[in-house]
Amino acid sequence: MLEYLFLNKNVEKVLMYLSIHSKAHASELSRAFGTALDPIQKTLKKLEAGGLLVSFLEGKTRVFCWNPRYPFLKEIQELAQKAYSFLPTQMQETYYQSTKRKRPRRTGKPL
Amino acid sequence: MNNLANIDLKSLAFLVYTTLKEHGIEAVLVGGACVSIYSENRYMSHDLDFITYEELKKVEKPLEKLGFRRIGRCFTHEKCSYLIDFVNPPIAVGHESIRSFETLTSSLGSLKLLTPTDCVKDRLAAFFHWGDPQSLEQACLIAKNQPIDLDDVTAWAKKEGYSEQMQQFLDNIK
Repeated sequence: MLEYLFLNKNVEKVLMYLSIHSKAHASELSRAFGTALDPIQKTLKKLEAGGLLVSFLEGKTRVFCWNPRYPFLKEIQELAQKAYSFLPTQMQETYYQSTKRKRPRRTGKPL
Repeated sequence: MNNLANIDLKSLAFLVYTTLKEHGIEAVLVGGACVSIYSENRYMSHDLDFITYEELKKVEKPLEKLGFRRIGRCFTHEKCSYLIDFVNPPIAVGHESIRSFETLTSSLGSLKLLTPTDCVKDRLAAFFHWGDPQSLEQACLIAKNQPIDLDDVTAWAKKEGYSEQMQQFLDNIK
């Protein structure tokens, strides 16, 4: 939808994914969209360099999230949310809602 | 070429700003380096964060003349321990755009940087959003060392939705 605007198909995906999940790491995004890891990492770094995202280390994993200090954050989040709402339900479920468990799971508990 | 091996942060900031200015590039020093300058090194930053609305390609040549090498948005020098980072514009604290700045002058040239009041807001923004105690400490350092417009900071914090956290800052600088 907004690929023409960002000149990059991954930017739109990352923004829509973050509008749903708030934070993500590169391999999670790569898995969710079934795309190669390298372009996703490059996109995340580009968005971080631009100031829209920030990242933190969680263990050995670099996790990216919105930069609450970015002055155009609200407007970009609204754009991403609106673009997401226009996606077909099947795409929303397949790429954006499927696999991520947000509730805690006790260490050592069998799957 | 200048001897940058033992240069201090403030002198380097002057040198970079003045060099860029001589090449017609306007930039503003933001971030932790402003805290170092305003707190007279009670807080020591090792990065010089500048913001310019010019393309970074234009910045390369003057900084290369000083011996800096570009890596992404950063510039490093093999003999200088400080990192120069060009943060992506705009110049803002939270949702507020910044349009007036402080200009310092010395025998080294001049330096445009955040005002002490905006520098406090910048640090408080990090404290508000991430609960970072170091940022609160830095905001307090500036407030204790420089004249700041507390009413302006308080009104800004209220607009950003962080009046409660602002009170913690006010209590700390009493």
